[in-house]
Formats: sequence, C-alpha cells, structure tokens
Amino acid sequence: MSIDTTKVLTERVIGVAALVLAVVAPALVSGFWLNSILTQALILGIAAMSLIFLSAYGGMISLAQTGLMGIAGYALANMVTQRVPGGETKGLLLGWDPTLALIAAILLTVAIGLAFGAVASRSFGIYFLMLTLTYTVIAYLFVGSVTLIGGFSPVAGVDRYTPGFIGDIAGDRERLYYITLITAVSVYVLVRYLVRTPFGISFQGIRDEPLRMASLGYNVALHRTLAFGIGAFIAALAGVLYAWWFGQLSPTTMGLDATIQLLVIAVIGGLRRIEGAWLGALAFLIINNEVTNRIPSSGLPVIGGTFNTVIGFIFLAIVIVSPDGLMGIWDRLWEMLRRRGGPTHAEPEGSEPAIVSS
Amino acid sequence: MKVGRWKLLLPLALLAVGATIATSGALASSAQSSEVKFAIMTDCKGAFAFGYEVDTAGTIAALSQYAGAKPKNKKKPSAGMTGGKAGGKNLNLVGIGCGDETPALALKETRRLMVQLGADIMIGPLSGDEAVAIANWAKQNRSKTVIIGTAGSQDPTMQIAPKNVFRYHGDGAQWNAGLGEIVYKKLGWRTAALIGDDYSFPWTSAAGIIADFCGIGGKITKRVWTPPAGGDYAPFVRQLPRPNQVDGYFWLVGGANTATALTAFEQAYGPLKASQHSGNLFLYFLGANTTVAPRLVGSYVGGFGTFQTGGLKKAQARAYVKNASKWFTGQNVNDGFFYNYWNAAWAMVQGLNKSKGEVGVALQTRLPRTLKPGFQVANNGVLRLDSRRQAIQDQYQLQITKASGTGSVTTTIAGYVPNVDQTFGGYFGPNKPAPGRNFPPCVKKKLPWQGKVKVVKNGVITNQVIK
Amino acid sequence: MARAAAAALVLFAILYVLVIADPPDEFGAGNWRTTNSGSALDDPSSFLTTVLDGLTFAGLLFIVASGFSLIFGLMRVVNMAHGAFYLLGGYIAYEVQQRMTGSGFGLQPNEVSTLEWVVPWLVAMVCIGVFGLGVQQLLLRWNQGQDLRQALITIAVSVIVADQVIAHFPRTVPVGTQQFGGNAVTITWPGWTNRLVDLHIGGVSYSLSRFTMLGLGIAVGLALYLWLHRTKTGLVIRAGVDDRQMASAIGINIQTTFAIAFLVGSALAAFGATVGGSQASIAQGRDGEWLLFSLVVVIIGGMGSLAGAAVGSVLYGLVFAFAVAYLPLAGNDCCQQYSVVLTFALMALVLAFRPQGLFGRAA
Repeated sequence: MSIDTTKVLTERVIGVAALVLAVVAPALVSGFWLNSILTQALILGIAAMSLIFLSAYGGMISLAQTGLMGIAGYALANMVTQRVPGGETKGLLLGWDPTLALIAAILLTVAIGLAFGAVASRSFGIYFLMLTLTYTVIAYLFVGSVTLIGGFSPVAGVDRYTPGFIGDIAGDRERLYYITLITAVSVYVLVRYLVRTPFGISFQGIRDEPLRMASLGYNVALHRTLAFGIGAFIAALAGVLYAWWFGQLSPTTMGLDATIQLLVIAVIGGLRRIEGAWLGALAFLIINNEVTNRIPSSGLPVIGGTFNTVIGFIFLAIVIVSPDGLMGIWDRLWEMLRRRGGPTHAEPEGSEPAIVSS
Repeated sequence: MKVGRWKLLLPLALLAVGATIATSGALASSAQSSEVKFAIMTDCKGAFAFGYEVDTAGTIAALSQYAGAKPKNKKKPSAGMTGGKAGGKNLNLVGIGCGDETPALALKETRRLMVQLGADIMIGPLSGDEAVAIANWAKQNRSKTVIIGTAGSQDPTMQIAPKNVFRYHGDGAQWNAGLGEIVYKKLGWRTAALIGDDYSFPWTSAAGIIADFCGIGGKITKRVWTPPAGGDYAPFVRQLPRPNQVDGYFWLVGGANTATALTAFEQAYGPLKASQHSGNLFLYFLGANTTVAPRLVGSYVGGFGTFQTGGLKKAQARAYVKNASKWFTGQNVNDGFFYNYWNAAWAMVQGLNKSKGEVGVALQTRLPRTLKPGFQVANNGVLRLDSRRQAIQDQYQLQITKASGTGSVTTTIAGYVPNVDQTFGGYFGPNKPAPGRNFPPCVKKKLPWQGKVKVVKNGVITNQVIK
Repeated sequence: MARAAAAALVLFAILYVLVIADPPDEFGAGNWRTTNSGSALDDPSSFLTTVLDGLTFAGLLFIVASGFSLIFGLMRVVNMAHGAFYLLGGYIAYEVQQRMTGSGFGLQPNEVSTLEWVVPWLVAMVCIGVFGLGVQQLLLRWNQGQDLRQALITIAVSVIVADQVIAHFPRTVPVGTQQFGGNAVTITWPGWTNRLVDLHIGGVSYSLSRFTMLGLGIAVGLALYLWLHRTKTGLVIRAGVDDRQMASAIGINIQTTFAIAFLVGSALAAFGATVGGSQASIAQGRDGEWLLFSLVVVIIGGMGSLAGAAVGSVLYGLVFAFAVAYLPLAGNDCCQQYSVVLTFALMALVLAFRPQGLFGRAA
C-alpha cells in the first residue's frame, strides 16, 4: 500500500470516528458543551467551509462570508417574527410562514452573493480580499443604520418561529444540535461532490491558471461568480442556523471582529482543505473558552490583554510556521512519512500552501 | 530537517495537551444544591469599562452588609468575596461577566455564566441593549432570575417584561423626569432641538426629556440622530437649527463621541453657551466630565436615579452611605453604578431569605416588591415595583457646577421628582411602540409630577417647587 | 447601458442638490424633495459649508489613507494593522500632550500652545514609524511576494496590537476615572485654531481648526509629491512601484527602500491619529473605523496611487457630507439613516465600473 492510500484510509477512519462521536455526543458531554461549543463549532464550521471552499478550490480568500451569514440571519428574523403582544419590538415583523421565510432568506442571500460575486469576479488576490471585506462592512453598516430592519438593538425571537420540520429548537437544544450536524455533513458531501463535477474541475483550473483557462474559452468571470454564489448558499445555511442557535441578531454578528474571527478559524483549520473548517472552529472555541475562564480581570499575566492577544499570537504563529493550518500539519506529517519511504516518490501537486503562492 | 520536525511536533504536542484539558472540562459535570450560585454581569470593555469594578463593589458591599460576606480585597472588588449566606444556603459568586455594550457579547457571557458555570441568578447587566438581549433570553429560560444592574432601556420591563426579570431602578426615561420642566421654567426654553445616538438607550433617554418638556408646553423642533458608527460629526451638527433659531439643545450623544459632537458644534456655531445646552447623564459621566463638562458649567443635566453628589439629609440616606462605605476603599457609594447594583444584590438577599434558599420560580415570587433604598424619599422611603417588576423611583436632576478649590467640575442636585413610574402617567405603555426616532411625539400633556418638581438646596429637599 | 444608468443617477443627484430640493415647510414635514436646508439655490451658505465640511474631512482622510496607499503601492503589502497603528499613535500623542501641559483633566483650547500640539505629533510619528519598521523587518521582510500571507500577518499584528493598546491606555486620566480600557480621550488643538473665520461669502463663518485639517492634508500631499518626484529615494520608490524586480535587478537596494516606505507609511498613520484625535477622539474601536476609511479611500482611488488617494478622499468626504446634508427628510424612516450606506454605495459604483479604482492599474 502506498503512503497516499494509507493517508486516505486513515483520514476516512478518523472521519467516521469523528462522525460517530458527534452523533453520540449529547450522551457524553454536558449541556453547556453541547450547546455552546459543539453546536457553535458546527455552525462556524459551515461558515468557515464556505470560505475554505472558495480558497481551496478557487484561490479566492473571501471576507464576505460573515456578511452573507448576517444577511441570511437578518432576512429570516425580519420575515419570520410577528407583532404580537408581549412579543418582539424590533424589525419588520412580517410574520411570514417560517418555511417560506427560510427559503426566501436563503434565496435572497444567494442573490446578493451572486451580485457581489459578479462585481468581485474580475479581482484577484489581495484586491479580492479587500473588496469582499468592504461587502461585509456595507452589510454591517446597513443593518446598523436602517433601524427598520434592526439597528443596533437586537432583533430577537427568531428561534421561536421555526418551520415545522425543524420543530422547537429553542427548547430542545439536542434537536438543534442534530439538525446542525446533518446540515454540516450534507454540506460537506455536497462540496466533495461538486469539486468532482466538470464545473468543479474547471473552477480549480481557473484557480491554478486563469489565463490559460480563459484562452481555452472558459468564462472565468462566470465561473467565479457562480462559485461565489455557492459560497453564499453555504454561508446562508450557516446564517440561518446561527439565527436559530443564538436567537437574536445584532450588527456585531457581521462586524469586523466577527469577520476576522472567521478568517482566523479558517486559517487555523487550513485554507487548503475543507475538513479544516470544523477543526479550526473547534480549536478556536475550545481555546476561547479555556482562556476566557482562566484570565483574571486584570488581564493576562505580565503582558496584560485578553483572549484576543492569545489568539492573535496563535494566528501569527500558524501563518508563519504552518500557513496551511492544522490540516497542513497533518499533510506535512504524511509528507515526512512519504519522504522516509525513499527519494523516488514525486512531490504531489499543489504542495505550496494556499496563501504562499499568490 | 530537525527544525522541520519541531515545527510539527511542537504544535502536535500542544494540541494533545489542549485536547486533554478541554475534554476534561467537557465531561465534568457539576451538581450542587447546597449553595446558591449567582453571577454579576457588567462591562469591562468599551465606554463603560469602569463599570467592572464599581458594579462588583456595589454588589459585594451589599452582600457583606446583608448576607455576611466579606470582600477578598478592599481595594479591588473584582477579586471576589468569601462567605455570604442567604436563606440558609451559601452564596457562590461563580463569575463576573465582561461585556462591551453589545447585545451579542452580553448574551454570550450570560450563557457562559448561567449555563456553563451554572448561576441561577444574575445581577446585571449594565447597559441598555445588553438588557434587551438578556431579557429576550430570560423569557425562554424561566428558571433563571435576572435582577437588572443599571441598564436603562425601556423594553426589558415594558414590552418584553418576562416574569423573571426585575429592575429596582428607573429606566433611561425615568432618569430624566423633570429635566424638561426645569429647563422650561428656569432657563425659559420654549423651543429646543435634540441630537443623540441612533439606538435604543438615547431614544429612551430622549423620550423622558420629550415627555416632560413637551408636556409642559415646550416644542422640540428638530431631532437629529447620529450613527453609532461614528465618522465626521460636522454634517450632523449642521442639521441642528442655529443657536439664534432655537432656545436650547438636548444632547444624548455618548461613549467616545460626546466630546467629538460638542466640539463639532463649537466649530460650526461658536463657543458653547451653558444656558443653551442640556442633556442626559452622558454629559457628565463616562469621562465627559473632563472634556465636556467644563464648557457647560451651569447646564442642567439628567440624573441617574441617585443623589449623585451625596449629602442627602435624610436618615435613610445617611444610614445607606454609612453602611455602603464600610466595605471598600476608594468607592463613591453615591454613584448610580454602585447604588443600583447594591440595591439589586440587597433585593436578591431578601428574596432568598424568604424562599429559604430556593431559586427559580420560588425565588421570583418571593423577591421583594418593595425596597427601602438609600435615596428614596417619597412614600416614606419605600420604593415599589409596578406590575411588570419595574421600580417606581424618585429622581434627582443635576446641574453642572464648579468644584470649589480644585477648579474641576462637579454636579449639584437641582431638582427632585417623587415617584416616577415607567409609563410616565400613561405616556408609554406595553402596547405602545417602544421609544424610537420619532416616538414619543411632542404633545402637551399633564404628567403626574408636572408642577411638583421640588427645589433641592444643600442636600435638603425643600418644599418649594421649581418656578 | 449600465454605465448610462449610473451616469443618469449621478446627474440627477447633482441636480437635486443644486436645484430640485426644497426646504421643509413650517411644520417640519416633507416629501422626497425636502431637505434640511433646501437646494443650493435656496440656501447657498449651507451648500458652501457642506462643501467645506467634505473637503476638510477629506484632508484628514488623505493623511491616513496616503500611508496605507504608499505601503501597498510599493510593497503590495495590505497593512491591515494600519488602524492599530492609528490607535496606538493617537494614545501616544495624547499621553505626551498630557505630560507636557501637566493638566489632570480636560484641556481647554486656549491653554494649549502650538508647541504642545506639535511635539506630541512628532513623538507619535517617530514612535509609530519605528514600530512599523520593526514589524516590517521582523515579519514581512522574509516573505515578500506572498501577498495574502502578508495580509494575514498584518491582521494578526492588528489583533494583538489593538488588544494590547486597550489594555495599557489611556494612562493619564483625571482623578476618579478609570485607567486603561481603551477609554475615549481627546487631543486638543492649539489655542489659535479655536475660532471661526469669516469667509465673507454668503455670511459663512467656518472653523479654523477644520481649515487646519485641510491645510495639513494638502501639506502632506505636497510633501509626498515632492518626495516621490524630486528626490532620489522617491524616484526609486516609483521605480519599485512600476517594476519591483527590474529595480532590484539593476542594483537598487530595494530592501532599504521598502523599509523607508513602511516607516513613512506608518508615521503617516500616527500623523493622522494626532489630527483625528484632535478633531474627534481616540478610543477603542477607532482602529477598525480608520482601517475601513483607508480601505475605502484607496479602493475608490486606486491602490498605490497618491493622486488616487487624494481623489478618493475628496470623493468620500464630499459624498459623506452631502449625504447627511441633502438626503430627503420624508418622514420617520427616510432617508437620513441611509447616509452612511450611501457612501459605501459610491464605492460599489466605482468598483462596478472600474475594479482597480479610479487611478489604479489593472490588477
């Protein structure tokens, strides 16, 4: 057996084990851990996956995913909540049927994503990064300024109006956990399938050689726009799940901090492999929880500061030492094993980290 | 190759250690019922960062006074407390929440404190929109009890009003009761413009001013709302009428932007004239007292529900000051942040005593519906909660004055309004919209305390009314 | 087709401001045509002050954005820590001014002499320039060419620096106020700027402080222009912007040039912070705010172009001022609250038609 097949096999085994653990997790861990760490890790993982999908297969590092998540959440919240006594006071309070609202919110986000993508499809590298950042900022300022749909105050109650097939997730957190888990697995399978389709393959071709693909007759801009739309779809799912999980939307959801946070998660996990999304999210949340609980009010010892300093240093270390994140460390481990096997093995394709070659 | 190996092994080792620590945390469960777990929710970031120590001081001081607790460090309240028993059970302060005014972080901290660390009672939060988020959460978590610290938004006890949220102090509108009448009568204002941040606390705060000022016959000719995101204030300030077109201005811009907005005003219209400016507590608190207040000596500003300057000559107030000052050094016990958290903690102790240490609904039915806080004068010094667990509280309006000797500025109490209720005598209500950009409208209406604002001189509430 | 629509929209907006708008009626009510002070024809002095508001704000925008643009243009480094440099520079300037004036609480303008503003400004620029240089030498020198990686590194730096600044500033606070925590502080302009200048046009008096802001922005622009076009270092920088590899190949010490450019760019952030801190305040959150302003200005104007930064600043400043002043007052929820959104719509408009910015090179 070659090293490569061993690696794939090991990954499959680990993946199945992780899935099994995830399924039985409610029986193993406390309520807080299930709700605040695991469910949140799954949701952030889906969001990070939308980012990593674009970066791994398209070479596009997008900071718009948080904004799209927020748009989906806000759209759902505004459509679904109603004006009832003792009820909500913020937002449009349209009171639509929850299933309809769910579909509408996702479609709206995808439409906006396609529009964003169309404008951004002609930019590459750094320009693309900055452009997508401004998209999120536009969305953030929009919901913050337009008090009709929210404003600074939270738009609440969205988790009380869920579609029938979702059920009561405000009360039953286990149910929400399983719904999130199913969505995460489905999205993962979807992306794995997508990248093997002709669209996916040409998309990866555009990542590697945009000029050559253009000269072969592929519509580069269209491919990138569509891919951005797919990313928007995944981000919309994350946004809707987030709205159900958190119960409230406020502009902070798509602020600069949240955007950087998602980027940090994706980079820690690994921008090259979509499995990194959940790995990064879990690592981030666990570190966050541990550090927050242990830092005294006066800040970190010696240097002062909060969890942000800690994660900043970790992020810096990862970018310098292992730009492909944790999945990159995993890949390099196998690389080492492969090299031990002898100098005749060829270097695999795409061995440069995603952020180095640009 | 050696370096390369370390690049791999070190992170892997760290990961393994981290995972072990983490999973041990996940699997551990806690099950204690011989103690009462509670938490304090306050801010440690943003404009209210100072609240962290002050709010904790107020809480722990009250618990020391009424539940036999002891501060661990007289100079640093956030060090925590030892001891403390109420209703026969030990009190356990599981954590102090660190918010930054945003609802998202407040909710995250609430979950950490009340779900992960298991607190059943929360004393807090500090700021308006945080309380809105937490009240919404509390609605779906009836077994948890929230006693609001100093948050001034109207919604938590009016439109949302879940049965497990209590507030023993006034909201932002109540804090400003009487201010509109004072400027109408003492400064002769008949028309005024209003400028504030575009979110719920300034709206609520403005609502209180508008109700009073318009109620007695004044007119608000323009309302300008500035985006919390900041930017350049000059164009916004130009939206205001010129100083010769209006009698006065009400300022409700806070946080980092109070000084900015007032500077922008000066750059547009010339030096500030104190008799033309008033506003809510932002004008004095939050560090504005160094940058802004010196230019506004003589202005009347909204209060905070306390006898902020100290020296109220009533036995109940003197007893409060004496008791509150025993426990920490360097704390101003007259300050609203300290006072309101003290009262919340005191109420918690009374409730627990009555419920014999039971929390949840048992506690919620037994939390006191009356309280005798230091600065309540009307009703024989008894503060009452209304049907939505919201305090009907005496209010004290302030005037910015120069401190004798040091040359810095301070405030004196200028007016007293008894028994201000949250509805302002029917102006606001749970079925009415929450305060917003254009709500309430400027209408003439007789408020219950109209014409009854008392003059306060040197700590004595006189019988004269403000003329 | 789309271009024609956009042009028509812009033309309509200009006509609206100049002619179409009406002032509010005596009850303060309005429709889509009502603005706070009517059109330019109704109230020319309001129009003039709005133009001046926009231009003077643009001066400040330019100072901060030019540093960002310089670093990007030469080194292709998107310095996401630019905002954090701004924050740190602002607090340093504040601390120095407090030490110099010995005042424990709010300074009144007439108490501050020019020296007491200039020295903090210089100290802040030197400190941040050196700090930026350190960051560049340590973290960015060895991975040149890897744009995204460098962007991520600067993001990490911004997170760390912002958190540390909040933990350690402000240090000089009046008695009874909390130290640290990133609380808001203001730097005070020198006393002589604190007056209104009578322009003798339409009875408009305008603030001298704001004119100073514009003056400083123009001075920075001139200084940068002269530096880039009349000195040897500037020549090398422009050569490096055009073709980095060639410049290096013909023997120019590109590393020194990069270092100088990063130093200057960071110092400009501190310069902007001193001005911005005098005009507004320095507080937690300003770093994100000013990073975004810089980003928007250089995206509109084109990255790496000084003229682009200038034009971007002017456009942004004017659109912001006019949006607030001339958006219709048509009832409760329209339209003033969209002013901030409108400024970003401007950016989207530019990007839709010229993705590299007005003066940028095609990416």
